[in-house]
Amino acid sequence: MISSYTFGIYPRSEELIEATRKNTENLASLVQSETDGYITAQKNANLGFISDPLLKWDDIYRPFSNLASVNLSSLNRIYEMNTFYRILSFDGPNFINGDNVVQSNLDSSLPRNKTVAIPEPFTFAECHTSKEFKTKEDFTMNLAKMLRAEINSLVESGFEVIQLLAPSIAYNKEVDFGIVSDALKIITDGLNAKTILHTYFGDVSTKIESLLNLPVSGLGFDVTTTPTSSIEKHSFSDKILTVGIINSFNTAIEKPQECIKQIDEINAKTKPKESYVSNNFDLEYIPKEFAMNKISVLGEIARGAKDV
Amino acid sequence: MSKLFPTQEIGSLKKPADMLKKVKDPNVSDEEKIKVRNDAAISNIKTLEDIGLDIVYDGEVRRVEMYEEPVRYVDGFEFAGRVRSWDNKYYNKARVVGPVAFKQNFHAEEFNFVKENSNRELKVPITGAYTLADWSYDEHYKSKDELVLALAKNVVRPLVKDLVGLGAKIIQIDEPAATTHPAEMDIFRESINESVKGIDAKFVVHACFSGNDYKALAPQMPEIKAQQYTLEFANRDTWKEGLDDDSRKGFNVLKLFKEHGFEGEIGIGVSDVHVNEIESPELIRDRILYAAKALGDPTKVYVNPDCGLRTRTREVSFDKIRSMVKGAELARKAIE
Repeated sequence: MISSYTFGIYPRSEELIEATRKNTENLASLVQSETDGYITAQKNANLGFISDPLLKWDDIYRPFSNLASVNLSSLNRIYEMNTFYRILSFDGPNFINGDNVVQSNLDSSLPRNKTVAIPEPFTFAECHTSKEFKTKEDFTMNLAKMLRAEINSLVESGFEVIQLLAPSIAYNKEVDFGIVSDALKIITDGLNAKTILHTYFGDVSTKIESLLNLPVSGLGFDVTTTPTSSIEKHSFSDKILTVGIINSFNTAIEKPQECIKQIDEINAKTKPKESYVSNNFDLEYIPKEFAMNKISVLGEIARGAKDV
Repeated sequence: MSKLFPTQEIGSLKKPADMLKKVKDPNVSDEEKIKVRNDAAISNIKTLEDIGLDIVYDGEVRRVEMYEEPVRYVDGFEFAGRVRSWDNKYYNKARVVGPVAFKQNFHAEEFNFVKENSNRELKVPITGAYTLADWSYDEHYKSKDELVLALAKNVVRPLVKDLVGLGAKIIQIDEPAATTHPAEMDIFRESINESVKGIDAKFVVHACFSGNDYKALAPQMPEIKAQQYTLEFANRDTWKEGLDDDSRKGFNVLKLFKEHGFEGEIGIGVSDVHVNEIESPELIRDRILYAAKALGDPTKVYVNPDCGLRTRTREVSFDKIRSMVKGAELARKAIE
């Protein structure tokens, strides 16, 4: 058995979609009951770490719009997806100390073995704008300081695994790994939690060596875009390896036995320090019925895979 | 068309609130629902004609939206549920669970109605194979290429053939997903070419702007069997009047199309569909004149909004189209 978790935003049910659109009286209670349902589903699947389904979040960056001197701006496409997020404009320096905006938007009933997903600073800076900071590097480092403040309070409240979402590192052809590394140092130096950098929305085959040198506890890969053969060429002896085996972009349900075989083969070749399985990106790209099935299958895969 | 700078509709308009209310009311009879839809279609057609558009349609007033409408009538699809577009906006996304196949011409009734109720040239919008594939879950085909080509050959081509048989002369293939995956432009090219293969009509391809400023599309344009592209330019142009490159930065990419050997027509988007401000006729005139110069031939320039106007109120939409028609008139005078 290996460990497992999910990350990102989960899909709202049809009933909740309607309630958010009409702002019905029972909206808050519906959000809570669906959140509870998703947490129970993760527990029932025996996932190693449990995450908030983030049903109140309109996109993964939205809670940060509550920070001082941050303004909501126009819609922008999420990479090549048919889904959009609001660009945030960081128009002053007052956001740098954070304001507990992530934790205050999470469910307080999460169990002890809890995990949370936070955008990684390089990706964050790529997706948003600033009138305050003139260079991308300066913007990235200041976002990293803000994220560290947010993460500190999350760790203090018991989050054991912090997933750092890094799709821009996968999507962008050119990545300045110096900036990525410096920003991650701000986040991870002396942090009393595991940090796992998740790449998706692009093939990172040629970037794995650089990724392995980053100051994080582990790396997560979307195996629908980065072939397992590329991952298997590398040793993960001092890193956690998370394989994003559950495809959040297709309703076809994974066959557990095939996935278990695949995970065992990857682990045999890469010899990771620890092995996790997860989804490849936010489950909200499939409707709830399919997401629930996939959570259950994820647990089955984790239970069936050989311990490393 | 002999007239310079013909003006045309490009996509859907916001549906009239009273029509939606009646269509959703279970107590309203089917006959009454048909009547309110027909009335709304006539209202759109006549308004667009009165404003002075040269090429019209009905604002897609009968369609649910551009993805769900065709998928409802194609074999091989099953709806999975709603998926977020942004915030609390969702679209109904389908799974491909078997071979895709054309069942019936789902635009026939609409086209026949518009034909009977308009004396202008008509441009029929249909959703393209690439977008249908890109916006669906595929549980049946081995690859995206295979699904796209199956949709092109077995769904879009029979639909186009049938519409042309009914008298359609201009077909606009809507492909908002086309430019979102720059690495897949070869599949996109093949999907259009397979969709129109052996059919005698004028084909227009509408592709939205999505970040790389049509740079991935440009090399494919001469190889795609389309006579015209209707594209977005206004949403990244300045609001300054003028014919210089800086003022018309949204239209600079037109030069690239020419460099890649494209010799067809461009339906230039002169109105930004994401803002309520109305572009002045003078600004639209300058956008048209710049495009005519960039393409080196004013007869290649058609004039339309960037995209469908359904996110704007009907008042704003019609004001934008009205200004567009006036701008085209000013551009004609300037050339003559």
